[in-house]
Amino acid sequence: MKIIAVTACPTGIAHTYMAAEQLEKTAKSLGHQIKVETQGAMGIENALSPKDISEADVAIFAIDIEIEERERFSGKRIVQVPVKDAIKDPKAVFAKLDG
Amino acid sequence: MKKSLQQLRQHLLTGVSHVIPCIACGGILIAIALAFAPMTEGKGPPEQSQILSLILQIGDAAFKLSFPILAGYIAYAIAGKPGLVPGMIGGFLSAGFPARLLFSAAHLEANGLPQDQMIVAGFLGAMIIGLIAGVGGARSKKVAHSEVLKPVMPILIIPIISSLFVGLLMIGVIGWPTGEVMARLGGWLRNQQTGDAVGLAMVLGAMIAFDMGGPVNKAAFFFGVAMIKEGEYGVMGACGAAICTPPLGLGLATVIQKSLWRQEDRDAGVAALAMGMIGITEGAIPFAASDPVRVIPCIILGSMTASTTAMLSHVGNHAPHGGPIVLPVIDNPMAYIAAIAIGTVVTAVSINAVKMLTQKREPQVAEMVA
Repeated sequence: MKIIAVTACPTGIAHTYMAAEQLEKTAKSLGHQIKVETQGAMGIENALSPKDISEADVAIFAIDIEIEERERFSGKRIVQVPVKDAIKDPKAVFAKLDG
Repeated sequence: MKKSLQQLRQHLLTGVSHVIPCIACGGILIAIALAFAPMTEGKGPPEQSQILSLILQIGDAAFKLSFPILAGYIAYAIAGKPGLVPGMIGGFLSAGFPARLLFSAAHLEANGLPQDQMIVAGFLGAMIIGLIAGVGGARSKKVAHSEVLKPVMPILIIPIISSLFVGLLMIGVIGWPTGEVMARLGGWLRNQQTGDAVGLAMVLGAMIAFDMGGPVNKAAFFFGVAMIKEGEYGVMGACGAAICTPPLGLGLATVIQKSLWRQEDRDAGVAALAMGMIGITEGAIPFAASDPVRVIPCIILGSMTASTTAMLSHVGNHAPHGGPIVLPVIDNPMAYIAAIAIGTVVTAVSINAVKMLTQKREPQVAEMVA
């Protein structure tokens, strides 16, 4: 499966990136392709291009705050979870994608 | 219900996440300017040095922006672009607007207030107005209008109407109750001058912790600053110790008993320790925002302990600022450190004890295991 993800926590210095790392690791172990955009204190990094978004099967939002440029994802299937779920139990987050 | 509360929290946190760098920058620059200022009689210390008054000015600009950014981005989280401008305007007004907008000159005079009295709604006012501006902005998107008006709606009509609405609401409805409470508190505080110093210290400590940098905190703080001008440094000494114990105590609490705190609290704890060291009570806000019922009484207790200890041991503070960073300008520095240490430990121990006791009754194990 081709997956895109956005992570964003309120402070934007630690959890945003921990969540991104966990999602990438877990996706790899499950055999999915993933690209994760982080929206931390430095703003958008590793930005998802329109091509990334249109090609993806599903989007994961691991966020505790409202994200920037949400309108890019309109029409996409979005699975939204709190940041801590992606850090603590990323497998459960991916399990939601099939549901 | 739970979902909308979560959403509310998400919106408030979006505002907080944007305002954190602003408060940190302003607080640190102001503290630097004050800490390095040559402390002499007469003119306000930082003004005597060109470079320090420059730094003070820049830090002050950052602080002045914090309410607009907070309210603006809360509104932005809810409504997107249409929320930003009315939110920022509401936040700007919550930092203070002239009381003359609301009351006649005669009314002000009858109440013994100066004609240039400002009404300050503060942190709470900014949060409330940000939410209102956001909801208003989101509504404005849905208003039906003709094709002819379409291009001018987002750039002209919506900003004007929403800003007028938010501004009038702030000045006419929200600002006044907070301002009134503040004014009465200030008047009452000034009358305490001749009273018992320990009682005063306890009241100031409680006020400093109560809203962590909000109007009540600032009322006590400005009383301390006014007393510096009078040559009475003990009041500011008590304030200075009380100012830093909420963030220091909460930070310490997350360090000594990690299992009681969620991962995000522990992260906020590190930031809180840093902010406490430089005398920024606002560092406690992330904790109080997510758990006010348990956090606020504990930080009040800790700050009261710190201020009373400082007052009793004749600590004097020559800088209008608090926390360990002003140590170079403290009279009786050892006692100042002791007062801060005691207040910090009281805060940390009481919040952890309260958390442990209440956890048994309402198990939140899933929340706590991070």
